[in-house]
Amino acid sequence: MKTGKQRALNILMNVLLIIYAIFALFPLVWMILISFKSDTEVFTTTFIFHPTLSNYQQVLLRSDYARYIRDSLIVSGGAVLVSIIVGVPAAYALARYNFARKEELAFQILSYKFAPEILVVLPLFMIYQKLGLYDSYIGLIWVYQLISLPLLIWVVRGYFEDISVEIEYAAQVDGYSWYQIFFKMLVPLIKPGLVSSALLAFIFAWNSFTFPLILASSKVYPVTVAITKYLGTDSAHYGQLAVAATVSAIPAMVFALCIQKHLVRGLSFGAVKG
Amino acid sequence: MARITLENIKKAFGKVQALDGISLDVRDNEFFVLFGPAGAGKTTILNCIAGITMPEEGTVSFDGKIMNLIDPAHRNVAMVFENYALFPQMTVYENMASALRSKLYREDEATIKERIDKAAKMMKMEKLLERLPSQLSNGQKQRVAMGRALVRTPNVFLMDEPLAHLDAKLRNSMRTELKEMQANLGSTCIYVTHDFMEAMALGDRIAIINKGKIVQIGSGDEIYYMPCNEFTAELMGDPQINIIPAEFEKNGSGYNVVIEVNGEKLKKELPEDKAVFAKIAADGIGKADLGIRPQHIRYSFEPAEGYFKTTVYSYESIGNKSVITAECGKYQLRMIAPNGLNVAIDSDIYLKPELDRSILFDSDSKKYIIRYDEEAIRAFATKEVK
Repeated sequence: MKTGKQRALNILMNVLLIIYAIFALFPLVWMILISFKSDTEVFTTTFIFHPTLSNYQQVLLRSDYARYIRDSLIVSGGAVLVSIIVGVPAAYALARYNFARKEELAFQILSYKFAPEILVVLPLFMIYQKLGLYDSYIGLIWVYQLISLPLLIWVVRGYFEDISVEIEYAAQVDGYSWYQIFFKMLVPLIKPGLVSSALLAFIFAWNSFTFPLILASSKVYPVTVAITKYLGTDSAHYGQLAVAATVSAIPAMVFALCIQKHLVRGLSFGAVKG
Repeated sequence: MARITLENIKKAFGKVQALDGISLDVRDNEFFVLFGPAGAGKTTILNCIAGITMPEEGTVSFDGKIMNLIDPAHRNVAMVFENYALFPQMTVYENMASALRSKLYREDEATIKERIDKAAKMMKMEKLLERLPSQLSNGQKQRVAMGRALVRTPNVFLMDEPLAHLDAKLRNSMRTELKEMQANLGSTCIYVTHDFMEAMALGDRIAIINKGKIVQIGSGDEIYYMPCNEFTAELMGDPQINIIPAEFEKNGSGYNVVIEVNGEKLKKELPEDKAVFAKIAADGIGKADLGIRPQHIRYSFEPAEGYFKTTVYSYESIGNKSVITAECGKYQLRMIAPNGLNVAIDSDIYLKPELDRSILFDSDSKKYIIRYDEEAIRAFATKEVK
């Protein structure tokens, strides 16, 4: 039986959550609303306006928006793919093997995430110019490793540490080679962590602005940078801007919904223990 | 099936010398028990045999072939891990089938099913086959771990305390089953335990391990009746053996033994045994520790001839019998009594150790010197088991 006090507490909590939800969701709702407004009505603060699809037409059909999205997908997807290929073995090594300065190495990898992007981007700009990586897919995928790799390594390492080493021994004794053990026994166990950290890495890479702004220009145009195009020097097309922003949020949301099941479980550690 | 030979195996983990010169020769089809206290290095020995741990020195051979450089997969050993090491994402059936589905030890599915059904029946877990390890109790997990090994036909079974987490009833029945299975299959089995009943019941031979070294190897009876030192004597037997410090005095053709009970010196005549007397005379032994098993301490609650008086320290009833512990000053004496006695703590009790059953240990080095009826007991203990 719930007492009156508990019920009052429940109501209070729900009220607070609702207030927070409004606070968090309002900008998004407003952005979607703006995307349906014509430029003249953008600044009306009432909810009464004449909905129009002209912004969508302008952005999706009469500009290179599809190309920007494609570039973003290539760069972010490529970055996550490289992170998985490099990061999972690295995480395994950090979890299983003992070598000199292991913790320092692990911390150094994490520390790549500490550095403000703006701090490293200028020297990188010059290095990239010299190496010919400037304004290339590989260049951006490479620099995105700063964003995605530390996250992936640290989450997946935790998962590997949770798997008792005897499980690997048992599989060895059962006649499996190391690669078979890795793919048959270990990968299924780290999958929740791998999927969720890969998704987060993807979102971070997708949202990255500083790196593509400075390290890319005409050939590679991720959507975050492209959105600024709708802010002209003399006029700002807020409606088109809102469309570009709204549509650019869709891929990450779709991915998140697809792997929602893993996401909740994946970020809560200890899911592996049998 | 194979004969397993270890020669002078050494392994250190950091500064801890886990194994310090282990040499073993496990015969083909032998049930060999490694027995010792926690942290003695028993599991590390198994890991060396399985190839999981690389010894720093020494060789591991199967049937005379040195295996040091062969990886675990190719050694064809079946191992039961102490913490089960089940694959969490696989059902019990898949866990048990795992080895038989690997490239090296592949069997067709019909054979796999037949073997798993047989093992499951023996383990009484036919109904668990479709469950995941997370849906099992510890005892059930342990049975699955056993089952995973038993479906195979390996060079050797390595079992690391496979019965430790089972309930008492199941443990007893599994013990019997294991022994029978081993006799039927004719398989070499190396079995780690710290339960002396298991060691005695299962082992054709037992190796006592302590601090990375082998203390003694022999049949269960040999080790029980002629332990090589006090450590082994205390390890084998429950309640553990009584150790009474004693001094010897010459008395005509025989000897008197002097023991101290609650600060009082008691003099008794040492029962005659030619070998014992000869040993005492030859080595000029003035004092020794007498090891007497709890079942060889006679007790009475009334004063009696040849009994000395002391007090009860504790009385524990353990089902079909009870253990009385008596306070004797510098040491305590444990003895086995029937159940249902009405014994009050601190009440008087009269004791008479059966000195003609005692084992003599050196008081300083704690090593075995001699025991009563040594020859007869040696003949009995070392007789061929099979």
